[in-house]
Amino acid sequence: MKSVSHVVTSLSHVSGVLAAMVVGASDGLIIETSAMLGGGAAGDPRKHTAALAAYLYSRVTRASDAARLGTPAFMRLEAEQGHICVVGARDVVLVTIVTPGANLGRVRLDMMTAAKGE
Amino acid sequence: MSNPTVAEAWVEAPLTKLMEDARLISGVLLYPTGRAVGQFGFSNAADVMSICALTSAINASSRELGRQLESKPFYELHHAGAERQVFMARALAGGEEFLFVGVFDNESSLGVVEIYFGEFQQALEKLRPEKQVVRPVPAGDFEGELNRSLDALFGPIGKR
Repeated sequence: MKSVSHVVTSLSHVSGVLAAMVVGASDGLIIETSAMLGGGAAGDPRKHTAALAAYLYSRVTRASDAARLGTPAFMRLEAEQGHICVVGARDVVLVTIVTPGANLGRVRLDMMTAAKGE
Repeated sequence: MSNPTVAEAWVEAPLTKLMEDARLISGVLLYPTGRAVGQFGFSNAADVMSICALTSAINASSRELGRQLESKPFYELHHAGAERQVFMARALAGGEEFLFVGVFDNESSLGVVEIYFGEFQQALEKLRPEKQVVRPVPAGDFEGELNRSLDALFGPIGKR
């Protein structure tokens, strides 16, 4: 994978991405993050999102293993006001917070490309 | 997992929530003097006694180390073992300081524990009674204070 700063910068420039983060897969702590665009009055949600998304991805990985499907390639959580996308890359996970109207195909492609280090 | 046992009833709800949300295996809430306020995951008073004594000592030494290095104490300590991890942190409620030590494994993560510990701190601040039950001021009677708190958690010796 390219440098974490480069990955975060390039993902954060994709249209509709509110925040991009590289997060430790095992501890859920933020390694590198972009600024949060359009942060509301509720405060910065990045730390919570990072920890819970990494945790959720580890559970999804276990479920995928149990179903004999192998490692999950891409995880997308659809919520009322947007999406959380997660891709695993060895010891880290890439996490993006995305608007409802974002081009999810582009987000997915860019995240998977970044995870592969291309 | 069994519910927490507490020496002060107001900590039961936040301690239960922390245990469940953060998926902790065991944990102890105590005063920096070593007096236990609540615990979960332990059935043996001697284990809690050891943990309180060690946590109190670790807090004192890490605080002094923090002062020496940065002129301010550390707030949080994390040790990742091969299978289990220890999280230790301070919580303030109404100007009173508490220590919490918790153990978790790969069913949780440091990030998750930190999040829910933050919520636990806020809950303590909100729930803490204005007037605490008067308790003896620590005057070097570490062992006596520790034993009194263990009696409150597990019952008097001989009835445990």
